[in-house]
Amino acid sequence: MIDQLPEGKSIGWMQAPPQWIFTHTIRFIGVVRVVIQDGEGFILIKKGKALMYYFKHGRIELRGHAALDYFNSNPTIEFNLCKYTPEEFSQALKICDVEETMPEPAEVQEQEPARPAPAEIVEMPEEEQVISRSEQPPPLQPELSEPVTETPVAAVPVKLETPAPVQPVPTKPAVAVPVKPTTVVPERPFVPQPAVLEDPDIKIIGQIKKLNGIVAISVFNDDRNILLMGDVEIEPLLKIARTMLATTNKITPHLDWGSFVHMTLQIPEGNVIIAPYHENHLCILTTRTINIGHIRRILRDLQQERGQGVML
Amino acid sequence: MLKQILNKFLILNDVQAAIVIQENGEIIESMKSGIVIKEVLQDVISTIMLDSKKTAAQFGNASLSMVFVEFSDYFLILGPVMEEFYLVIIAKNTANIGQITYEMKKNQDAIVSLL
Repeated sequence: MIDQLPEGKSIGWMQAPPQWIFTHTIRFIGVVRVVIQDGEGFILIKKGKALMYYFKHGRIELRGHAALDYFNSNPTIEFNLCKYTPEEFSQALKICDVEETMPEPAEVQEQEPARPAPAEIVEMPEEEQVISRSEQPPPLQPELSEPVTETPVAAVPVKLETPAPVQPVPTKPAVAVPVKPTTVVPERPFVPQPAVLEDPDIKIIGQIKKLNGIVAISVFNDDRNILLMGDVEIEPLLKIARTMLATTNKITPHLDWGSFVHMTLQIPEGNVIIAPYHENHLCILTTRTINIGHIRRILRDLQQERGQGVML
Repeated sequence: MLKQILNKFLILNDVQAAIVIQENGEIIESMKSGIVIKEVLQDVISTIMLDSKKTAAQFGNASLSMVFVEFSDYFLILGPVMEEFYLVIIAKNTANIGQITYEMKKNQDAIVSLL
């Protein structure tokens, strides 16, 4: 199914908690391609509303809330926001067999890749599908299509022939548990967090990431990493960024040099740059060969636009 | 002699000060134009030097090559010369940062020889 989806226009790869996706896609129409270890999946989104959750690892397919639960079981996930044109979006809806007004069903299936979807979905006429889905709220626990174990693990009671992708349960080593091993998966209404980054922000961060010599870029605040693009371990980088931020906080009150634009630490391996970004901060990791002047201009421009009250 | 070298920086467009300073904030030599180096500025530079050295060490004990701290009106570039001695350039934001860093590298050995 993933391969059939239109490509869309990639905004960029990033790492963030799953909830971030839902609180930062208010104006986004497209697909969020998710990669977790060896598995991949997607969330089809129209303006902040998730229309389809899907994840596949080997022969295991998770759909609906089961896939969502799996995404949520990871503190952070790696994903690529791909924008769709209206045509691409329509095509994706068809491929996913989703009416955008209806809630998606929660299903867990184990099936061969070429095997058709369960008859109750595939063979029902479109109208009946709508009625059926809208009349029946998604079950609290994912349904089984083929239970292959007697263990009543409600989350994902299926058996993997391949190693468990994530979070194997120590007491049940033979059972794939790609979601939290709870016996009851409660319905979790989304509680939107305060929006920190808007869609244009993500675009800007993505554009900076695409510059030659940029290894990674993170948006962070005092509490957490908000967004990361690039293949780095975030915690060590954040630790360094926060140390640098502490330095600038110490010196800024004593200097009458205007507002803080950036601090760049150059070591033989490359540069670490921190800069204010709205009420948060940017941390940029670059190679040594980066054009510092270019980055400097971008950071100054960002700050000037912020000063002029321009919404980025 | 050190003043002559520092003066090479001062003639660059919009450079306000060139200072050779120790980690503890003690100024070895300086050349300045239109700027007063107060004790508080020495403390600020000292803080940047010491903190940056520690931060760089978090990268597997990497050595510090250079530090830029930029504000909307001025920026500061700090480069280690030898041991606890640093060369610090303070300039308006309109100064050519590439030219300054080039001169810093070019004159490093000459500065070291005078310390």
